[in-house]
Amino acid sequence: MRPTVKKTGAKDELYIYTWSSYIDDSLLQTFTAQTGIRVIATTFDSNETMLATIRAGKGAEYSIIYPSDYAVAKMIDLKLLQELDYTKISGQENILVKFQNSVHDPGNRYHIPVSWGTTGLIYNSEKLNPPPQDWNYLWLNQSQLSRRMTLLNDTREVMGATLRALGYSYNSTDPQEIKQAYEKLVKLKPAITNFTSDAWRDQLLAGDLLLAMGYSSDAVAVIQQDARFKYVIPSSGTSLWSDTMVIPRTAPNPDAAYAWINFMLQPSVAAQVAQRLFFATPNQAAHDQLPAPLRDNEALFPPETLLTKSEGIAPVTQEIAELYEKYWTQLTSS
Amino acid sequence: MPLPSSQLKFSISWQAIVSVLMFGFMYLPILVLTIYSFNQSPYSAGWTGFTLNWYWKFFSDTKILSALRDSLAVAICAVGIAAILGTLMAVGLSRYRFPGKGLYQGISYLPLIIPDIAIAVATLVFLAAVAIPFSGGLIQLSLGTIVAAHVVFCLAYVALVVSTRLTNLNPHLEEAALDLGATPMQAFIQVLLPELMPAIISGCLLAFVLSMDDFLIASFTAGGGANTLPMEIFSRIRTGVKPDINALSVVLILGSGFAFFVAEYIRYRSEQKRLK
Amino acid sequence: MSQASPPISREAPRKQPAALARLLEPLALLGPAGIWLALLLVIPTLLIFQLSLVPGIRPGDVVNPSGLDNYVQIFQPLYLQVLGRSLFFAAGTTLICLVLGFPVAYWIALLVPKRWRNLTLIGFVLPLWTSSLLRSYAWITILRPTGVLNTVLTSFGLPALDILNRDAAVLVGMSYSLLPYMVLILYASLEKLDTRLLEAAADLGATPKQAFWQVTVPQTLPGIAAGCLLVFITGLGDFVDPELLGGASSMTAARLIYNQFLGATQNWGFGSALSMLLILTVSIAIALLLKYGDRNASGV
Repeated sequence: MRPTVKKTGAKDELYIYTWSSYIDDSLLQTFTAQTGIRVIATTFDSNETMLATIRAGKGAEYSIIYPSDYAVAKMIDLKLLQELDYTKISGQENILVKFQNSVHDPGNRYHIPVSWGTTGLIYNSEKLNPPPQDWNYLWLNQSQLSRRMTLLNDTREVMGATLRALGYSYNSTDPQEIKQAYEKLVKLKPAITNFTSDAWRDQLLAGDLLLAMGYSSDAVAVIQQDARFKYVIPSSGTSLWSDTMVIPRTAPNPDAAYAWINFMLQPSVAAQVAQRLFFATPNQAAHDQLPAPLRDNEALFPPETLLTKSEGIAPVTQEIAELYEKYWTQLTSS
Repeated sequence: MPLPSSQLKFSISWQAIVSVLMFGFMYLPILVLTIYSFNQSPYSAGWTGFTLNWYWKFFSDTKILSALRDSLAVAICAVGIAAILGTLMAVGLSRYRFPGKGLYQGISYLPLIIPDIAIAVATLVFLAAVAIPFSGGLIQLSLGTIVAAHVVFCLAYVALVVSTRLTNLNPHLEEAALDLGATPMQAFIQVLLPELMPAIISGCLLAFVLSMDDFLIASFTAGGGANTLPMEIFSRIRTGVKPDINALSVVLILGSGFAFFVAEYIRYRSEQKRLK
Repeated sequence: MSQASPPISREAPRKQPAALARLLEPLALLGPAGIWLALLLVIPTLLIFQLSLVPGIRPGDVVNPSGLDNYVQIFQPLYLQVLGRSLFFAAGTTLICLVLGFPVAYWIALLVPKRWRNLTLIGFVLPLWTSSLLRSYAWITILRPTGVLNTVLTSFGLPALDILNRDAAVLVGMSYSLLPYMVLILYASLEKLDTRLLEAAADLGATPKQAFWQVTVPQTLPGIAAGCLLVFITGLGDFVDPELLGGASSMTAARLIYNQFLGATQNWGFGSALSMLLILTVSIAIALLLKYGDRNASGV
């Protein structure tokens, strides 16, 4: 599946804006060997930084950007992306049907998904009996978990999970529902050690924490380190996230961009990324190429039944976004 | 004279004790980082065995090495420029009174006060909306724009440290040099500069550390594939900062410590030779 | 050297510089820095100010300054509480750094033999060569319930300390990062201290304590002021340490501003207004300090 690429003189260069972990030397070298295009990557640490820098004027040199799914919706709104010409892309038929029509970008007109995962609870299975099954476990066992648990440092993830625990949608825009979620969190607050999306790993492994809210990729890595820990996707539903590739409207080298996309869609390449990062791949052919322990890993690739109630976090109106932010500030300040 | 020396002896004990304790305080996290850089586990939870793998990984990781190179380049350039501009500015501010001096002084303190994120965003907007179009595309986001943005706060820090030194300086030394027929330039270079050197060096050390560690400003003003070390490290948080970064820190500290030791030794020896 | 002759007039050996040339010197000193700051500091700051006057501005919008809504929004108990927390952390860190840093700076500047001075100073600053993120993570490893500190304490039979995810941990982490700054600045000031003054004080019968408070401190007041200022202001801008080490209730002003620019709301107007307010309050404090310092200096 060798992609054909027009070499346009000095434009043998592809500038991409991505997470550091998505690119490593061997990957870039393989790409350059296959296509003759040199890749220069700049890294960002969060979607928000990426969005802010692009909006402040930085985007002109990039031909490929790696936003997460909700960021894609924002970028479409801001008219930052160009529609993908699927005649130039090969391998997209390998993408699972579930990911071929994103709620953020109907018909996948602008993006190609590269990885996905879930949010859930990682816990010490030796110490927690009975084990958690759902978000409400946190409130029901508050005293046992007191100051031995962390939640994600993300407004929408935490509020969304609480909304779900109350039976509402992750993306609720009803101020009343949001208020109830806030008040429920306030009740849990004294037991929460900290809001962190990464610092919990060491503390959980060391035994200082009993339970942490975290992403599936981190959970798989931790469990590999120490099998006493388990990952559970709450039964009332959780958030599904995915990372994608997009081509900005101002891309200087769209041909190279398509070459890159085709390269990343190759099953062997996609499988390699999944293995390195413990991100689930939406590429069915790649999934089949994974070694059995990863392929059958239920934390990484949960069965469909568990995902029926899950939703992606969608952008909301400015007003509601500010309401969420205000409650978050109040929560982390009092 | 018994009084001063006994007083001196008394002073040595408690200040030295506090200092030794503070040195221990400063190096405790470094010790922890070093120990875990040899730990087999990618997490800093418990000791799972000794390994040198993280060091191999670090030395063969071109992303980190080029990020390190970029950071050092930015820091050295920015501090170099800032040392000159900042010292000149501090001397100028201490000497002259002019309308608007208060404003100028206030502006020179501004980089210390402005929240990083605000100046980062604003600088990028300025560059993208004004500087780049006006220069017809000559200026591009690159390593150079990071240097330009870093000079701003580096020179503020150098100026701050140098100005505190200036207030204590004997103002008559320079006058004496001028009286003896030195040109203002000579008086500056041969009288004032040596007096200010400790402060300039302190300020440069401060500015260097700050430049190496700056994340937000570099994030926003970088371009053309420029990636500084903090950008690279922060971007790895999402998938976990592994002990190869610990290895990087250990190597950096040992390397710069060694470099400083050698530089000091050379300086000391040349000073001894001069005195002989 | 002339002896009993009238003082050499300045005009004689030196050429009297022309008016333009006399302007050249201050221009050469203040010009380059001034231009650099004007371009890359003043203009961006004015931009921030402009942004702060537009409520609900979205990046990419045309800026139409229309009012102080953003500023009014700040004065709610919620945000004032956040600002208060930042001030507390910054002030606490400054105090700790001053108390712990002064002896170190004194020792290096005055008590360490000259040949070792530079090395000792650099040795103290060297730990800052690590990324601040790594340093904070290291403190988590040290301060957590089963961390290094408690392991050492319990092995001596002492009770374990529950420091992590509390204010105390934040102060430890912030003081760690800022102590070298305080020491560097105090060193620059102390190194110039005229030890003969101390000897003179001792000759006149002063105790070490009296000599310290009545000779050393007044002489190094500019350095102390500069050091405290620097640590305080830098402390106000630190959001990594409070978040990683402080626990669930550690929202700071710096993080609040960060969230406005880089959060879901992308409310650059409000973020700019918060920034301007921070700049204003600190500027006023500095201006007062400078005025006091000037009066002090002219009195000396």
